[in-house]
Amino acid sequence: MTLFHWIGDTLRQQLDQVPLSVARWLMIGLFLALMFWIVQLPSTVTNPTDRPAKWTSDLKIWAWLALLIQIVIYSVF
Amino acid sequence: MNRLIRRTGAPFPLAKLTNGFLQRNCPMTQLTSIDYLVILSYLAATMVIGLWVGSYVRSGSDFFLAGRSLPWWAIGISLVATDIGGPDLMGVGGDAYRYGIVMGNFAWIGCIPAMLIGAFVFIPHLWRCRVTTIPEYLERRFSVYLRSAVAFSWLLLMACNLGVMLLASAIFMKNLAGWDLSACILITALLAGVYTWSGGLAAVVYTDVLQGVVIMGGCLMFVFIGIQEVGGISPLMEKVHSVARVQNQFDARQRERMKAPAERNSDPEKPRHHRPAHESEHLSLVLPVDTQSPGPWPGILFGLGLIVGPGYWIGNQCIVQRALGAKSEYEAKASYVYGALLKNLIPFLVAVPGLIALVKFPELGHQRADVALPQLVGALLPVGFRGMFVAAFLAALFSSVDAYLNSATTLYVNDFYRRFYRPQADEGQMLTVGRWTTVGFVLWGIYFAFQLLAFPAGIYTIFQTLLSFVVGPTLAVLVAGMLFRQASSDGALTGYVAGLLTAIGLFSLNQPSLCRWLNLKPLFQVGQPYLYYSIWSFLVSVLFIFVFSYFLRSDPPEKTRYVIGGLNPNGGAV
Repeated sequence: MTLFHWIGDTLRQQLDQVPLSVARWLMIGLFLALMFWIVQLPSTVTNPTDRPAKWTSDLKIWAWLALLIQIVIYSVF
Repeated sequence: MNRLIRRTGAPFPLAKLTNGFLQRNCPMTQLTSIDYLVILSYLAATMVIGLWVGSYVRSGSDFFLAGRSLPWWAIGISLVATDIGGPDLMGVGGDAYRYGIVMGNFAWIGCIPAMLIGAFVFIPHLWRCRVTTIPEYLERRFSVYLRSAVAFSWLLLMACNLGVMLLASAIFMKNLAGWDLSACILITALLAGVYTWSGGLAAVVYTDVLQGVVIMGGCLMFVFIGIQEVGGISPLMEKVHSVARVQNQFDARQRERMKAPAERNSDPEKPRHHRPAHESEHLSLVLPVDTQSPGPWPGILFGLGLIVGPGYWIGNQCIVQRALGAKSEYEAKASYVYGALLKNLIPFLVAVPGLIALVKFPELGHQRADVALPQLVGALLPVGFRGMFVAAFLAALFSSVDAYLNSATTLYVNDFYRRFYRPQADEGQMLTVGRWTTVGFVLWGIYFAFQLLAFPAGIYTIFQTLLSFVVGPTLAVLVAGMLFRQASSDGALTGYVAGLLTAIGLFSLNQPSLCRWLNLKPLFQVGQPYLYYSIWSFLVSVLFIFVFSYFLRSDPPEKTRYVIGGLNPNGGAV
């Protein structure tokens, strides 16, 4: 048994105590945190600067959609 | 992630799958003349697009970055198509048969968060820096030593993967359709080589658009027919649960039987909690720490989601090069966001066939899961449709081989030839050298694929493990370089080397032969701990970067201005 084995075993035992429902919420939490971050980005970052911006060219919407689908998927499976 | 990556590319499924095919015969799928017509039409269309795009290439910049003219939609599809390698298409199916939908994590949490963070933070900055390669950025921010170390690591990886991919795909085609192994290697390498030689990145991206459509169309058709065959989605899910539960119980008994008596008493197979008795793990994305699949939740969340995914989508030249060729900073961002949207669909297309195969051929068991998908193609698809699926497989293969060819060429020509041998080379010379280097890599890929036949099967696993070695340290130096002015060139180089050594050390301490010799048990309990190599190598890299940056000399302002926020949209200092 080396120090590495001890670290690994300790971490494994601790992580094994975490219920899978909490792990699932951690994953969903990652997507929620990203949604929160994206909505706060200034519109100059998510829209084209060289032409008039339409709503379809706002990347926030599509990034949100991608994350929303992920939340549904990780909630179902 | 495929490659990681998987692939992520999914690297390990490839290894296991290839090994499986080397050892076993699987039933061949009968292709008719209509199927061949479909396949030839696809190949002809690919060549026409590739050569047509190539006729517009006039300079090194056109060849390596498509003259920075690529639109977001083409890059987006190309990103997704490149990420699904041909062997991965089959490998993920086989692993979905074995482990279930958990393999979807590699395209979902392993890609989408990383692509979105890349889209809004890292990719725009790299585009602003007007670099051709990621190592080039690392020289501007840090030092030529780090540039060379990173370029050499990735070049080695890409060159090896080229041969692995050609051989693995040839073996699939041999088993799927009875094609000759040598002919498959030669034809695949030459066809991909010809249009990559001609058109460089633009040819790669525009042929990827066709390939992406063929991959998604072919797989969608396969999934649709398969779900109809098993009676719909709900019956499929019920049958998956019941078949998988029986198989998992059988496997657990087998594992118990394999253990020594002392080991059986000290480490008994634990009963599964958190799940109703009638359900299996096959339809769950969140699996416990001691799962036999490659997806224990800590590895998925902390390894795949936070390190391997970002490392692959931000640090892999093969992927990032497309966005660097975008016509504007906005188009580069949009391509990643569009790619992330498409990524939502991919696991349904590549993993669900494995679940259908599980229901149709439960008798294959975990040991022969790799042959499930070719068997399903033969059993399920009518004449003409089989040709479409083979075309989808070839499309996935070409989209990866051409990407590796072009990126390996870009790394060699920009980070070694131009940097050290001909700094004054003009655009015409760069184009000529780029094309000859592509020829060189095609020949190398063919040679290496044939050489691999003579090696023991485990060699594939070693090559795929290399990816998990470099992803963590590469991400660490990129994050430190882009986000922290305090990170210094000496610290970054030390951190990169320390990260690589950590990954190699952990890999070694998990090898059964070494563990027996040292009288230790393997370091990791999961079957495929490559996600953990990446986590630890990333953490050690970060630690070394910051400790050494704190104690050693700091970098001058002309280096630190390459952190995010240090450049204006035109690439000048703020």
